[in-house]
Amino acid sequence: MKKILLLLPVALLALLVLLPFLWTVSTSLKPLTEVNRYPPEWISPTMSLKPYGDMFFYLPFSRYTLNSLIVASSATTLTLFVGSLAAFAFARFRFPGRKQILLVLLLSQMLPGASVIIPLFQLLKTAGLYDTHIGLILVHTAVLLPFVIWLLHGFFSGIPTEVEDAALIDGCSRLEALRRVILPLALPGLGATALFAFLGSWNEFFFALILTNSDATQTIPVGIGLFVGEFEDVWNQMSAAAVLFSIPPLILFMAMRRTFVRGLAAGALQ
Amino acid sequence: MRRYTPYMLLTPALLFTVFILVYPMAQNLVNSFRDVSLVREGRGWTGLLNYEHVFGDAVFWLAFRNTVVYAVAGTLLALLIGLGLALVLDVHTGKMSSVAAGLYSIPWVISPVVAGFAWKWLLNDHFGILNYWLSSAGIARHGTSWLGNPHTALFCVMVARAWQFYPFAMVMFLAGLQSIPAEQYEAASVDGASPLRKFFHITIPNLRPVSSVLLLLGVIWSFNDFNMVFVMTRGGPINASMVLPVLVREFSFVHFDLGKGSALSVLIFALLVTLSFLYLRVLARRERA
Repeated sequence: MKKILLLLPVALLALLVLLPFLWTVSTSLKPLTEVNRYPPEWISPTMSLKPYGDMFFYLPFSRYTLNSLIVASSATTLTLFVGSLAAFAFARFRFPGRKQILLVLLLSQMLPGASVIIPLFQLLKTAGLYDTHIGLILVHTAVLLPFVIWLLHGFFSGIPTEVEDAALIDGCSRLEALRRVILPLALPGLGATALFAFLGSWNEFFFALILTNSDATQTIPVGIGLFVGEFEDVWNQMSAAAVLFSIPPLILFMAMRRTFVRGLAAGALQ
Repeated sequence: MRRYTPYMLLTPALLFTVFILVYPMAQNLVNSFRDVSLVREGRGWTGLLNYEHVFGDAVFWLAFRNTVVYAVAGTLLALLIGLGLALVLDVHTGKMSSVAAGLYSIPWVISPVVAGFAWKWLLNDHFGILNYWLSSAGIARHGTSWLGNPHTALFCVMVARAWQFYPFAMVMFLAGLQSIPAEQYEAASVDGASPLRKFFHITIPNLRPVSSVLLLLGVIWSFNDFNMVFVMTRGGPINASMVLPVLVREFSFVHFDLGKGSALSVLIFALLVTLSFLYLRVLARRERA
């Protein structure tokens, strides 16, 4: 009994803070006649999954989904590759300029997107990469890189140097040691970092909005963000898109919550 | 050879940094002293004209004021909610607390676009659930357009932003709460201190370092935030909720004046650098302590 009394306020608080999202979930299951009804109801007998099917016909969401998958997975791969090289340098070498370079990386995390968007736009236009997957992948990689290096630096530093020394004695080069010894040992950390990077790119809106301009390249957040103003008559389908789009982040979050929280703390406090 | 290895390893990452940071900053500075347009031939160097245009634009001052309010008040609100929930979670232990922490973190995990969308629909004048409740309770007239009213639009976006940011504060506060030595509370209990006294004399002082970090980070991030305002109001109605990042897009890609947009970008960057150095100093002080 006492346990339930303790649980009740915690559960009520959860309902309260999730209210906007729950309302969207409820809307995503209603036919339009129910959506445009007053007074509104949370649950109605006519609820179905139909809006989830309809949205793929009304707006090009299957194309958006494909674009999001291409951009997020490519950006993740590229960021992890470039990031682990850099993180290895920071974790295993002492060299002049090390502190300064780390500081620049730290500062670029504060980077205001609005302060770099115009030159990036001009550059991609000139290079013929405006409104292409590659252009957006490169930008996302650059944006995610500092945080990824930071996380990987932490994971690599946690691996004792003796393991690596043994490999060096056996005749491995430093890079071989990275590939054969460090990377396998850091695999859990690499996995968590990959998730961060994927989510960062998957949820990213600002650069995607300005650097893409056609259905062939626009990602899901751009689809949702742009049409929020224009297709207000189909709130149920827009809600369905918003819910579907949130499922991968939610699943990844549930699966990796511990690492998520640790990474969060590492990113802000170390 | 060995001496150059770290630099070789760093080269790809540094190239990306040049691409996203160094080149854009330099190009922005150049742009800001030139006439650059998206729709016609530029007229070359114009000195400080772009900056004069920015400072002479009433919308800039409105957006500046709005951004400060949005960043500071929004962050404070998020910190309050985060602290409240962290205190609730700190009381409970074990699996339930962990599940609750997961649920409370959801606003932080979902995309800002989805968050903005959800709030916009919640606040919808006719079919949103919030208006229904408020009008049933006699607080507001049915059909009140919270986002369409210049007096309430910015406030609503700020609340939505606080909703997205509070889980971050909550997690940090919770870590802070759990690192307070139990002996401090025990000693206070022996002295017969009330729970309220313990809260103000032990909990709050112990959370001060993490609060200052959170406040600065929150202000910096909200200062940069484009998404929530763009998705919910586009800066409207009549610029009532306009913030600086959205204004950069407005100048550059709606009015096609890249020169004026760049001048504004340079100003935002200068403000951000100041805030970031403040943040680094706070971090450095924490490390010494």
